[in-house]
Amino acid sequence: MSNVLAIDTSTSKTSVALICDGKVIFNQSHTDPLAHGEVLPKLVSQVIALNNKIDLVAVGMGPGPFTGLRVGIAFAQSFALAAEIDWVGVCSLDAMAAGINKSEFILSTDARRKERFWARYKDGLRITEPAVSNASELEKFGIPVLNEGEYYPDPVALAKIAQSSKSVEQPIYIRKPDAYPLPIGVKFRPMTALDLVSATAIEKEVYAKAAWSAGQFKEEFAKAPKTAHYLAAEFEGQLIAYAGIFYVADVADIHTITVAADHRRKGIGRELLKRLIDWARVKKAQAIMLEMRLGNDQARPLYESFGFVEISRRENYYGPGLTAVVMRKELK
Amino acid sequence: MALVLGIETSCDETAVGIVDGRKLLANVISSSVEQHVRFGGVVPEVASRAHLEAMQQVIKQALKDAGVSIKDIDAIAVTAGPGLIGALLVGVSSASALSLALNKPLYGVNHLSAHIAVDQLDSDKKILPTIALLVSGGHSSILKVNNLAKDVEVMGATIDDAAGEAFDKIARIMGLGFPGGPIIDKQSKDGDLKYVNFPRGLTGASDLEKHKYDFSFSGLKTAVTRFIDQTPNYKKADVAASFQEAVVDVLLSKSLAACKESGIDHLVIAGGVAANSRLRQVAKQRCEINKINLSIPPIGLCTDNGAMVAALGSLAISQGVEPSQIGIGADSAASIAQVIW
Repeated sequence: MSNVLAIDTSTSKTSVALICDGKVIFNQSHTDPLAHGEVLPKLVSQVIALNNKIDLVAVGMGPGPFTGLRVGIAFAQSFALAAEIDWVGVCSLDAMAAGINKSEFILSTDARRKERFWARYKDGLRITEPAVSNASELEKFGIPVLNEGEYYPDPVALAKIAQSSKSVEQPIYIRKPDAYPLPIGVKFRPMTALDLVSATAIEKEVYAKAAWSAGQFKEEFAKAPKTAHYLAAEFEGQLIAYAGIFYVADVADIHTITVAADHRRKGIGRELLKRLIDWARVKKAQAIMLEMRLGNDQARPLYESFGFVEISRRENYYGPGLTAVVMRKELK
Repeated sequence: MALVLGIETSCDETAVGIVDGRKLLANVISSSVEQHVRFGGVVPEVASRAHLEAMQQVIKQALKDAGVSIKDIDAIAVTAGPGLIGALLVGVSSASALSLALNKPLYGVNHLSAHIAVDQLDSDKKILPTIALLVSGGHSSILKVNNLAKDVEVMGATIDDAAGEAFDKIARIMGLGFPGGPIIDKQSKDGDLKYVNFPRGLTGASDLEKHKYDFSFSGLKTAVTRFIDQTPNYKKADVAASFQEAVVDVLLSKSLAACKESGIDHLVIAGGVAANSRLRQVAKQRCEINKINLSIPPIGLCTDNGAMVAALGSLAISQGVEPSQIGIGADSAASIAQVIW
């Protein structure tokens, strides 16, 4: 004798089912990617009105967008605690695969940021760990890709799997949190005239002919602190990066963010950019602009992650054939 | 008396408190602050993951500390906002599940009002109209509390940074670490608070017309930053003490003006910054001079905790407030006017 309450919030759907001794008593879902928190308690309250004696809670552990996913897991765990019963976690993709009658396929759900959560199935069994990739990469396997929309995790299947397999104890996040530790041992401070020798050397190394001279730097420093702000990053006493911003008439303009070649991919540019944006906010700028060399693929995702969007292009900006991409971020 | 379990997950503390009427029985806090130190601030996704990881254990420990069984609980209270949405949802979802599984009422409560409600615990204070200064990492407001469970008005608030945020940023600029509040409090003890006369935001005659009870800390932050940039070998303790003095002075001047204007002679100071020792000391002095009854919760109950949420839930029950509907969700930008959902 067992009554299983099954819950899944790993996709845009919130799904709830009640299965009593193998018989489906309740099976409902509601599609809204932003309302798992509101929808789930309402659906479960309908279940309880039908039968308030629950013996087991089964819950989809993802993969799925984190905020919605946690709604289902937090609810299931706390429900089990209060009812003094067990809960069992299930890979949500497995609950989605259950009704599919194909020998080989890939299941994929929306992971946001133009990516998909996915796993590969063969003869009814999952043969890969759940992963996250660009949609285009899934086509390369040459087997059918079945997507969220046409298919969803089925709470009835989820209840069945929960009773026959080992519990998945941890949420299947796959991605790490978007958090960037401050680079260890790197010191950030205002840039001064004493940095000019090192800075012009880095300029030449990075920008060759388009490099700024010491004179150009001095001109910019003269505007600080009122309308310009220049920051330096040093490591073991050596200048390794610098950045500058200029502010006039409501819009701040980032003049440079330059990191010496040996110190890239360590989050130094990110920290400099963050500090320039903070400065622009204190100055009450309405927006921030920057120009970036077309083809500068390393920097573009960084700017986009801070909300910069391309607004125009300027041809031959950095010299013949070198186009500038102009990006802008609104601050209000 | 009603046994109320309160859940708080609006920022980086996973906290559960249990009260019996006004009696505090348990107050368990699991903080993810250590995980945020290296980022210099709270990372929402890191905090949300930590909440889910800690929640069950924190509930169980609170029940154990209170010496009660989950079946004994009469009502569930939970912070429904304001706060980080992903973080709030872990608490609200857990609380909804407890309420449904136990068939007991749920009270979604306002995080800010809960900071004030904690002052009622273990006391027989009458529930009187009061002015409240609410100061934390996310908020700096002066509130007119007509009835804490039903009717709270905003008299003023920060127009830029929260007071606690200013502490964090100044600590970061001086390279002192995170969170800034306790660090600057400690540094200031050896510092000269008259070393620099930093600006008191929105206290000029023209600002007072428009922003009588509002705060602004961004000008102060800029002034401190500039001072540090221009003063090689400055003494950290002196700058910290002078900065802290500017914050304390403006917070209290405006709170006391609010008491005077509204004819209310009670002031409650609540929120994480209420743990600041200089704020507590100056508040005591100035309230004595102005004949204002001052109340500040014990330091351990000033920062985010579950007891305050349970306290507000308990107060709502005693004031006959209706419980929340099933499916309240979370509201990251909830206004103070919404006390109970």
